[in-house]
Amino acid sequence: MDMNEKPKVEEKVEEQKPQEVPEVEAPKLPDTKEGKLVAELLEKAPYAEGNVRRERRVEFKVPADRIKEFLELASEKFEMLIQISVVDWLKEGEFELVYQLWSVSESVHAFVRTRIPRENAKMPTVMDIWPVAETYEREAHEFFGIVFEGNPRLGPFILEPREHEKHPLRKDFNMIGYVKTIYGEDFDRYDESKTNYVI
Amino acid sequence: MSERKNDGFINYELQEFKLFEPLFKWARKKSLWIVAFCTGCGGIEMPPLATARYDFERFGIMPNPAPRMGDLFLITGYVTPKTLKRIIITYEMMQDPKYVMIHGSCPINGGVYWDSYNVVKQLDKYLPVDVAIAGCMPRAEAVMDGIMEIMRKIEDGTADGWKRYRENYEYYRKNQDELFGEGWREKDARRWLAWI
Repeated sequence: MDMNEKPKVEEKVEEQKPQEVPEVEAPKLPDTKEGKLVAELLEKAPYAEGNVRRERRVEFKVPADRIKEFLELASEKFEMLIQISVVDWLKEGEFELVYQLWSVSESVHAFVRTRIPRENAKMPTVMDIWPVAETYEREAHEFFGIVFEGNPRLGPFILEPREHEKHPLRKDFNMIGYVKTIYGEDFDRYDESKTNYVI
Repeated sequence: MSERKNDGFINYELQEFKLFEPLFKWARKKSLWIVAFCTGCGGIEMPPLATARYDFERFGIMPNPAPRMGDLFLITGYVTPKTLKRIIITYEMMQDPKYVMIHGSCPINGGVYWDSYNVVKQLDKYLPVDVAIAGCMPRAEAVMDGIMEIMRKIEDGTADGWKRYRENYEYYRKNQDELFGEGWREKDARRWLAWI
């Protein structure tokens, strides 16, 4: 890539913006297997947004109320659920769920992103599409407190009961305060005045 | 003749054994059977120790799957409350005399997980530790050095963690109960050890 190329592209976009708004919103999909895959899926599900990130990596954004519908459509091409990961956006007050799918037939990795409000977070389960989702949903439930409706085994999983109640991977979980109360304060590293700071 | 304590345990200070005590100490030092509790990166250092390069079997050290026949308890890597329960039960199942050696920074003071909600910061609040090897991770040479140290301590009689555990049992038990809550042995340990 040429270093001088980047500013030119930005200028062009700025010039086009006032004239034609809709073209910027829908970027053209490349003429590759990933592009065709995304176009095919978006044709069936017009409520979603999709784009190709790079070779073998595609990305979708779906509104939370239609996620199940979308994943059912996607499961025709993407046979495997790799992971359900959760991102805690504290300032926005939202959880972002990322369903990571793998297409065995096409060798394409897909991120399906969706956002739900942080308070009383609820999602429909996708266990009936991929049975393996049970484990990932239990994990998300334990660490973030998201309730997956329809999953029969939500409950204590990996953590000790005391940790399990607190949802320790939430961003507003007071880690140092918790550590001090559980393990005691007799450590040099916790010294606030830093007279005995170790690290 | 000194007074014999009858506290329900086998008393190793019996007069008739005193003559053979140097022999016993030498024998214990030369036949350490390891009960290895390898969590995290600590387990990685065990294969080079056991295989041709550092070959600890030439010192009479042997990995041993059963706590009932172990002498040396190796705790390598971080310790979580969940694993600490298992560690304590395993330690109490081992016979006297028993020695504890810990690897790496994590059991000493939490290491890189010092602010983590589920890593025990000071293992020696819950178990008596004879030798601690600092480092993250200590290489096999350092572990070898620690083994030499514990051999020396056994011969000196300064590796007395098993005695300290018995003498200060209230202290250790108090710390364990503070961390796990009272009655954790009945609640949790009975699930995997039916005879407790």
